[in-house]
Amino acid sequence: MIPPALVGLLQTGVSVVVGTRDAALMPECTRAWGVHVEPDGRTVTIFLTEATSPHTLRNLRANGQVAISCTRPTDHVACQLKGRVRSIRPADQHDRERSSRWHREFVGEIVAIGVPAETGQAWMTEPDLAVDIDVTDVFEQTPGPGTGERI
Amino acid sequence: MMLAPRTLQAYRLRLRFNHAESSGPLFDSMSLQLQAIASYSGMTDVFRLRAADVYEILTLERVEGFTRLPAPPPEERSSRLFVDHDLVLLRLLTERLSRSELLGDLLETTLQVLDERLGFRHAIILLADERNEKLFTIASRGYPEHGVGSEVGFGEGLIGMVARARRALRLSAIDHSLRYARAARVRAKAVAGAESLCREIQFPGLPGAASQIAVPLMTQGRVIGVLAVESTDPLAFMPREDTMLTIIAGHLAACIEQLGRETEESHQAVPAPSGLPRTGGTSVRGRTFRFSHADDCVFVDGDYLVRNVPGRILWRLLTQHRDEGRSEFTNRELRMDAWLGLPEIKDNLESRVILLRKRMEQKCPDVRLVPRGRGRFALEADVPIELSEKPD
Repeated sequence: MIPPALVGLLQTGVSVVVGTRDAALMPECTRAWGVHVEPDGRTVTIFLTEATSPHTLRNLRANGQVAISCTRPTDHVACQLKGRVRSIRPADQHDRERSSRWHREFVGEIVAIGVPAETGQAWMTEPDLAVDIDVTDVFEQTPGPGTGERI
Repeated sequence: MMLAPRTLQAYRLRLRFNHAESSGPLFDSMSLQLQAIASYSGMTDVFRLRAADVYEILTLERVEGFTRLPAPPPEERSSRLFVDHDLVLLRLLTERLSRSELLGDLLETTLQVLDERLGFRHAIILLADERNEKLFTIASRGYPEHGVGSEVGFGEGLIGMVARARRALRLSAIDHSLRYARAARVRAKAVAGAESLCREIQFPGLPGAASQIAVPLMTQGRVIGVLAVESTDPLAFMPREDTMLTIIAGHLAACIEQLGRETEESHQAVPAPSGLPRTGGTSVRGRTFRFSHADDCVFVDGDYLVRNVPGRILWRLLTQHRDEGRSEFTNRELRMDAWLGLPEIKDNLESRVILLRKRMEQKCPDVRLVPRGRGRFALEADVPIELSEKPD
């Protein structure tokens, strides 16, 4: 279960980096357009685009294992979620609204650390897929004492 | 996956782990950066770099669809991330030179980096003897005979011309007959008696040299020497090589000038370099040095060794060694010794001692001058020494 403090973190404009692997254990990494935590604190949904993340989606369909690293750009508060894919489905209206809310927050974050607003706005983050994940492990990733520890 | 910081273009890299480093220049520079950031935030004890992992990039591709901004064409992309390799080399060389505390180390370091990192296999450094309008070889690399002590007049050959014109000069695809080694030809000197003949030291020259560059070592508007390189490849040297050598020569000149100005002795003992192998097991049972007052020359076992100021310095050391049993000497006492005839300013003393040391390494390796830190050196002898003088 994701602790409430981390749920709060995940509701801000965190960068969402998705790690997977193939059958030969070759790692793959891509970015998701936001993360949404279900009220039960055990399931999350990430938003992906087939066109930019084909390798990741192939891995997710093949073995379902995923690690999601979320970092808030302005203060580097971070955590990692590990879990298994429950479903990969077309993004619906709800998902697109969540993703677009995340986009506004995220652009605010990167503009705050010096990225020009127009560069941030030019980032395309319209997802076509939503991936529901059962979270199995949560790790502390904020740099400092305790980094990497399981929560 | 990485994002370009300016454009937020995404790039996908496939990497293969190569090795981890926990020392060396890469590790040190990353570690220093981390320490600086840690100390900013009062986290000095928390952040410490343990190792830097080095990866090989197998593939690098741009991932389309991340940004609406067009990808800038390659020539417009900021190249400030990627430092030109030549600049990296120049930086490495100038950093190494600035760390040298002794003139001898400075010269050897220069030649070593020129050879090993910049590919100038055959190089000579000459210093100016302004009073006599001459340049003398103080160090060389890539020649069978190092030729230290050999001389070229101002205006003579490529090197002499460069010293006079105060401009770098490059000769490519030159005819062999133009070799400046010839310009430094042995000048016939009819002096009676085989022993008193002060032979010229052979100038180092590359057989079949087809390209040469000579660059003046300038500081404060004065020529203090020349840096020269050569190659058998007719097209080895292009404007790039001129430019590199001119920058290097400027830095080298400033370092030589700086070391020459610092006449204070260093109190930190410098261990004797293990440089030349001892000639243990040779049949030499002793060395006879002979000083000829008439032409200011020192001979060892009948062979010409050195003359003028370096000759007199050696003679002073040898006689003090014999008469007072001394073996440790300082530049300061040499400067105060009127008989040596050093000019009061710009005396080039350090370079004369280096010249003397190298001549001795070549001609009598069992009697040595060993640096003992800045401004100090020792006379070491593995064999008995005999001295004789030939009056005027």
